Amino acid sequence: MDRPAETSWRPPRACEDYLSEFRHCKSLFNRFHHYYAYGTAASCQQWKVDYNNCREWENHRLTEAKDALRKSESSRLGEKRNFTPVWKLRQEPPSDWHRPLNQENQQDS
Amino acid sequence: MDQTKQDEEYGYDLFPERNTGKHKKSQIRDSLFIFNHKCQVMLTFAIETSPYAKLLLGAMKNSGCKVMKDRHFSCEDCDGTVSGGFDAASSQIVLCQNNIHQQSHMNRVVTHELIHAFDHCRAHVDWFNNFKHLACSEIRAANLSGDCSFSNEVARFNFGLKEHHQECVRGRAVRSILAVRKISREEAQKIVDEVFDSCFNDHAPFGRIPHGNKDAKFAYREYANRDRYYANL
Repeated sequence: MDRPAETSWRPPRACEDYLSEFRHCKSLFNRFHHYYAYGTAASCQQWKVDYNNCREWENHRLTEAKDALRKSESSRLGEKRNFTPVWKLRQEPPSDWHRPLNQENQQDS
Repeated sequence: MDQTKQDEEYGYDLFPERNTGKHKKSQIRDSLFIFNHKCQVMLTFAIETSPYAKLLLGAMKNSGCKVMKDRHFSCEDCDGTVSGGFDAASSQIVLCQNNIHQQSHMNRVVTHELIHAFDHCRAHVDWFNNFKHLACSEIRAANLSGDCSFSNEVARFNFGLKEHHQECVRGRAVRSILAVRKISREEAQKIVDEVFDSCFNDHAPFGRIPHGNKDAKFAYREYANRDRYYANL
């Protein structure tokens, strides 16, 4: 329940992941498919900003870098969750997922 | 009983080998047939190498629905041009061995059906009575499986660019609903339109629309690192 000590925080992703996401975002393939899916240009700058903040944290442990990174990821997550689900999520998996098939056939006849 | 009527209503007539009572005893005979063997080989390859499939299988395992190849997949002969289906009653993914002849197609069908299975696993999806639920899962499957990639659409001679992906997803969702339910095209269109905004933006478990294998690999990486991600937000 208690937050872990500040020194044990690390960026949500490895710094190289931010850089590779940035490069992938800027690629022709991705920019083309983003337009194909959304009709708008892909915006990639935030990945670069996050990468720089990640390096700042790794090298100098700057609090501003850490806060900026957390804010950016929270915002990214918020955008992903920005829809009202059509269905109700389960608390447990379906009980018959592993039921043997033979059993089901017997019940049918 | 009204079994025939019910079969037609839920699309079971497309999969004639389901529910006939014939099961494992004929498997040795079946496995001698080439289509079935090829289907099994391609299925194994898809499960082991496709980043789309690997992500979905991992996500399902974590949701408590571990997928066992022999239990949850079935290669069968199907009617018409349908490539596969998800049978919620038996928790099985059906692969149409007579209609899938290329590995890339197999990869896509496996991904598409696994998305249905994933939805079944994580949500109370009322496949048989709630058309909105069915439409939602079809939208997600068309959106996230690569069904509507630019190259696949061009191969179907459907040329379009700006937001064509969405047009394709709508169209394929309507087609999929019409294939398994007896409703009019207008009704199916209306239902798809009602749930489109919500379901098009639900990218679970990918976190993004994977436009190709690289996207899928990045999505898999993100998924594999989710513990670290959420712990450090």
